[in-house]
Amino acid sequence: MGEQLTEIRFMTEIPHYLHILMEAKESFEQANPNVKLIIQQAVDDFESAKALESEEPPDIIELGGFPVGNPDGLFIDLTPYVSELKGLEEDWYPGLRQAIGHGGNLPGLPLEIMMPLIMYNKEMFDRAGLTYPTDEWTWDEMMELARKLTIRDAEGRTSQYGFGIGVDIEWWEPFILRNGGRYVSPDGSTARGYVDSPATIEAFRKLIDTYRVHKIIRMPNEPSGLEEGRKHEDAAMNFTFGWHFFHHPDPDHKYAVVGLPKMPGGVETNMLYMAGAGVTKKSANPRLAWEFLSHYILASRSWILPNTRSQALQQGLTNHPVWSRYLQELHHVQLGAFFLSRKWNASRQLVNDDINRMILEGVDVAQTLRSWTRFA
Amino acid sequence: MAFEAEDRASTANKAVPAGMTSADRDQSLVERAQQGDTEAFGELIEQHRNKARGLAERLTGDPHMADDVVQDALIRAFMHMGSLVDTSRFLPWFYRIVRNQANMRLRRGGPHRKEQPFVSILTSSETNSSRVDWEDLDSILYHLARTAADAATREHDPAEHLLRKEMYETIHSLLHCLSRKERDIFKAYFFRQLSPDEIADMYRMTTGSIYTYIHRSRQKLRKEHVRVSLGLLPEKKEGSGLARHKLLEMPAWQADPPIMSTFVSNIGRMLAAISDQWEAAEFMGVSTFAFRMKLSDKTTFADGIYVFDWRAVLQELMKEIGYEISILCGQLADSPVPLLGAVERFPIVLRIEEAVIPFIRKHIDVGKPVLYFDTRVTKPYVHEWSVIYGYDDGARVVHLTDPMLPEGKILSYDDVTDNPVRFLAGFGSKLEQAAGKTARRSRETRAREQALRTIRFAIDYAKNGCDYRPRTSYLNYTSGLAAYDRWIGHLQNPHIAPNRYGMGQLSAVYAEAKRYAALYLRGVLLDGEAMRLALLASEAYEQTADAMDELSRLVPFIRTSEVLSPDMREVCVVHLEKAKMFESAAIGYLEKSIAITAGEEGNGQ
Repeated sequence: MGEQLTEIRFMTEIPHYLHILMEAKESFEQANPNVKLIIQQAVDDFESAKALESEEPPDIIELGGFPVGNPDGLFIDLTPYVSELKGLEEDWYPGLRQAIGHGGNLPGLPLEIMMPLIMYNKEMFDRAGLTYPTDEWTWDEMMELARKLTIRDAEGRTSQYGFGIGVDIEWWEPFILRNGGRYVSPDGSTARGYVDSPATIEAFRKLIDTYRVHKIIRMPNEPSGLEEGRKHEDAAMNFTFGWHFFHHPDPDHKYAVVGLPKMPGGVETNMLYMAGAGVTKKSANPRLAWEFLSHYILASRSWILPNTRSQALQQGLTNHPVWSRYLQELHHVQLGAFFLSRKWNASRQLVNDDINRMILEGVDVAQTLRSWTRFA
Repeated sequence: MAFEAEDRASTANKAVPAGMTSADRDQSLVERAQQGDTEAFGELIEQHRNKARGLAERLTGDPHMADDVVQDALIRAFMHMGSLVDTSRFLPWFYRIVRNQANMRLRRGGPHRKEQPFVSILTSSETNSSRVDWEDLDSILYHLARTAADAATREHDPAEHLLRKEMYETIHSLLHCLSRKERDIFKAYFFRQLSPDEIADMYRMTTGSIYTYIHRSRQKLRKEHVRVSLGLLPEKKEGSGLARHKLLEMPAWQADPPIMSTFVSNIGRMLAAISDQWEAAEFMGVSTFAFRMKLSDKTTFADGIYVFDWRAVLQELMKEIGYEISILCGQLADSPVPLLGAVERFPIVLRIEEAVIPFIRKHIDVGKPVLYFDTRVTKPYVHEWSVIYGYDDGARVVHLTDPMLPEGKILSYDDVTDNPVRFLAGFGSKLEQAAGKTARRSRETRAREQALRTIRFAIDYAKNGCDYRPRTSYLNYTSGLAAYDRWIGHLQNPHIAPNRYGMGQLSAVYAEAKRYAALYLRGVLLDGEAMRLALLASEAYEQTADAMDELSRLVPFIRTSEVLSPDMREVCVVHLEKAKMFESAAIGYLEKSIAITAGEEGNGQ
């Protein structure tokens, strides 16, 4: 008579990495024939947290946003397990390790790790006779290039824009951080003195000026005519997360990436986007759950970008023209307001409404940012 | 005589972690609250509210008056937080406020018996500063009271102009707390910039009494402003109610089984409870929910069903059928919140029972049930709209419906207060028919106009999608006919596993919606060729519903972690393609029907 199967319940709200998860499940079950992984999907954090209160609580929960500081107390601290794996701490990208351990505990392992860079269309630069940008470029230089790369006909119709970026408070944050500003305090307790600081206002004004003064970017209410997934094609430079290259493979190297431009504040940093998965406090088999989690995230070779330098090396990413550049950013990433203040993030759509008003109606930037102190 | 709660006010709480007393924690929260941190204030109140209510009840001998006393005390405490010099003495200070408020309520003459002189406006700390603090009503009022010439200069600054506009809107929304006369005098002084002498002349009153009116209005508005920012309810105009519990009869609505679009289903039940019975199909049409279909761009999650502008849609629907509606809405910032696509636009509110339970009592006491968004609904649902039809202060529970429990259920006051999504709505009075031309129009004409509005909505929604889109890069949905393509795309994408559970709910809800679309169109009041085309559209919707029913039979709505096999995905795609083909045909007939109607109207002019 065989041993009884131990079930590990894994709840995820991320549908697009299920193939990596299923591969990990298969290999783990092969190596551990007495273990059965049960994969469940949840639409959001609320459903995951609710499942934890059910009769069959998940052993592992995977969230779309890494649970920095374990705000809902769903997860156990993985630090003791991590310290058992020799060399792991040193192998981790330092900026990433610091971010996930914010507040002193490690509630999970990060996945879907990504940062933005500027992706530029080499052909558009060549046609304009412009030199490709380098990591030393400044904001003003980027604006100058964007002006030269914006093409309008005699009637003012634009066939090509210099720059493209989505209107979202989180996506604008790296420019604010690089200027020495912030949305919220490092402990996330307040926006007062941060979102209304001169450095934040200065950087924000520069972003609004791209629309209103330089006119090098498509207005939010201006239809593009390009179908979903091709909207980047009418701008010579785009603010781009690495996952773009998954969806739009670029075998002919038509595009290249460069770091975000230097802001007057002179801070070398970037924002960090990451999901996370952790072992829940309700797990009856936390060690087994941890073993699967580390197998899935730290041993898998499918992650772009991975957690550690050795993973990146094994996957050949350190020599890749695009991924190697994204990996560099992992040395100096920092947590944005999304991770630090749930209260701030809860008003994200109202904040985005205000950004649209600043762009479209010219509402005063400083006054608006001062009014955002009420959001955190 | 000192009450036990007051005696214990400075005693350390034994449950607090070693090394930190509850007094230490209070002190830290008080310091944060003094900086205007409403979360910290909420936490303080959370800890001490029950005892404060106990104290108020013993002082007043009336549980409802005790609620009012605590609510008033909360407002006063928040307003005067800055005056608490010794931050370690919060609790005794708060109890003193509760005691004062209780005495005030018990004393004849009410809270505004003793008025302070108007001159206090001019001695406010803002007097010497040219900068307006837009968060502070006193500062705004002072700013308003400056000379018209000053204001005109500032009007040239677009930002100042916008803030003035927003501020006017804010103040207008607060003005309901004033009496008619107070409001008129307030507007004359602050908005029209008339002098107290001029206003006194207008109203044949003394200048002194105008000052008193203005001062009293300012006090009331300030209190109302704090009440609104804390998410509390407008002050009751009537005396304290006597009922400690009340349970309304909930007659079954004629829709059986209940409509799966629970937003519509529960509004229908609420209307039935006040003897306004609607046909299910007609209500699904009038509400436009028979024609909506929305899918997440991530996978076949069911959250698209709930992503629309709850407040606007409810208000429009109620206006359409002739009711006033009052809505209480918000989100808690300190727990996971579902349906961010819709809820992230709600204001952050505090976990304060006084902000929720009195709203329920107020409506139930006058025989009107309350629409409620329940996040503790029975499986397989995760969250759903329901109707609260009773409350019991003794047991501290509300009675409400649940789609899986025909007999209904109860939730504790704490459950309701801790709901991360705060969405409650209650009917006001029936709106009067507009006078003149509208009133003379026949019932048939109104029904016909209504049908044309719904059909135009159906066409626009099918072709262009929903006009409500979450304002964030991470939440995207596809609606209308394009939703079929999105759905099929999810099923055919080799890189994702479609969500089986979400598929079940989507199929069941939308199969039923399309069946109601067919029924609704069969009953619309159109003539001749336009009606024939509407009937053809109805027939096409029947076939759409048949195809969706097939899908629903293959993937029933149950809670499961089962994964759809590749074969099953293929079969589902076939049914969805069929449904899309029929609904496209239906929309084509509706377009022709509308074109003919428009042509007839054009010829008739």
